[in-house]
Amino acid sequence: MARTKIVLAGEGGQGVQSVAKILVEAGYEAGKQVLYIPNFGVEQRGGVSIAFCQIADETIGEPRFSKGNIVIMLSDRAIDRCATYVDENSIVVYDTSVCTKKPEVKCKEIIGVDANKIANEKLSARVFNIIILGVLLAATNVLKLDDIKNAMEKALGKKFDAKPELRDLNYQALEMGMEMVSNSGVAV
Amino acid sequence: MVNKLIKEDTKMFLTGNEVLAYAANSAEAEFMYGYPITPQNEIMHTWCKLLPKTEAGFLQTEDEISAGFSTIGGILAGKRAFTATAGPGNVIMQDAQSMAEMMRIPFVCAVMQRGGPSTATVIYAQQETRLTCFGGNGEGFRIVYSTAGHQDLYDYMIKAFNTAWKYRFPTYILADGYQGKMREPVTLYDPASRGITMVPTERFLLADGEIGVDRKSAHLRNTYNMEDELMEVLEGYKADYEKMSEEVQEWEEYKAEDAEILVIAHGIVARSARTAIDELREKGIKAGLFRPITIRPLAVKPLREAVQRAKRILFTESANGQLAQMVLEKLYGLTTPYDTLFKMGVGVTGDDIVNKVESMALAVNRG
Repeated sequence: MARTKIVLAGEGGQGVQSVAKILVEAGYEAGKQVLYIPNFGVEQRGGVSIAFCQIADETIGEPRFSKGNIVIMLSDRAIDRCATYVDENSIVVYDTSVCTKKPEVKCKEIIGVDANKIANEKLSARVFNIIILGVLLAATNVLKLDDIKNAMEKALGKKFDAKPELRDLNYQALEMGMEMVSNSGVAV
Repeated sequence: MVNKLIKEDTKMFLTGNEVLAYAANSAEAEFMYGYPITPQNEIMHTWCKLLPKTEAGFLQTEDEISAGFSTIGGILAGKRAFTATAGPGNVIMQDAQSMAEMMRIPFVCAVMQRGGPSTATVIYAQQETRLTCFGGNGEGFRIVYSTAGHQDLYDYMIKAFNTAWKYRFPTYILADGYQGKMREPVTLYDPASRGITMVPTERFLLADGEIGVDRKSAHLRNTYNMEDELMEVLEGYKADYEKMSEEVQEWEEYKAEDAEILVIAHGIVARSARTAIDELREKGIKAGLFRPITIRPLAVKPLREAVQRAKRILFTESANGQLAQMVLEKLYGLTTPYDTLFKMGVGVTGDDIVNKVESMALAVNRG
């Protein structure tokens, strides 16, 4: 695919923009064309937070697009707000352990993941967004794991150096996210 | 003099606001005055973060009225100063911007448009187009570059300083919240490496030399006693403005040569139009783009020529036709029919334009 359009949406504070930044940084370092717009409101926390990301082989024209190839919804309100970005070619991912409903959209594939539950039970609530990053990496299939690890090092390297076990925790989260997509049986 | 940070071509992955701060440094700007308003804050933040290395100056004023007048003050004191604002800040800075127009001050301002009217949204719009071109109680003797992404922001911010200092009209970078906040790759460079010579900064007041011997007196007036005295001065400005217009006007055409449907758009919307045009061409629809880069002054001759070649025009903006209004005035006498796609304070996507042009193409084919 020449251009991958990603919508990543959740509640303010869920770490949506941090994940988007790592993803596009990885794309940039891998020599791709990338464009990222954070959707920002006046609130510091709370409210739906949306990141619009594009990763392409050629120069990107439009900064905002109508429909995403991958649309990730991490809360009920994100489902409501982001149905408009879905069409029959979209892969939709939602978190079954946060959302109380399933997105009712016509799309190519829909994948339910329980990232929040897994983060809380097996890892740490703080790496919820890194699980989602793993989901994104597997679902988009345009970047390599090493690209993401390098970008994580850039964003979180100082924290990793202070507490090396954090690096392993984040890598585990990343891999769990990737497995969630492969276990879903959906071809991406 | 300040220390310039970019000495060789440097590819970076930045937000547009960061790009503007680097560009001002590359343009040898010495001082920024500003007041915080989203979505332009990071221009100030980045400028300040770089201060230990650049040894430039910054003053956060109490509001945008003060930021505008302080910028004029800095320039009068002989500094290459600039400011940046958005939305309601742009509104209240108009008083100072009018003064800069009246006194022919090389005032440089980056406007990162947000939704309006009033506080509206902090996100994005093209609703300060008219304000930036014609705000204040004057005649719009201003130069406005409308940018469409990060390379533009860098290139035209550097150019804005040269245009302002050469022609002595207030000069603007008109961008928006998307461009300010979005992140994309950009190549920063030293202007000299592109053959660009920066117009030197001159002292307006208290310059060297003896008045009447080495130089003329600096007599900057903002107040006139007689009506005809004012008009005489403004007629001079108007003549200067018209003479300069041919030299500064810039535009971009994309597949416009044989276009049956011509999209007229500026800024970031023009970028969506390019995406749409590629898609439309694949579907066999002859669409093209005319993008004014200087939206004030407009490049009237090429604009009229492109419109005359087309069968139908589409104006599209993230505003209710602010550019269209300026353009239509310049198209007086032409009868090419036009349609509109206006989304007030909302981004226009490639799909929006594709759908609209497809419906227009049906009308064109029906004759």
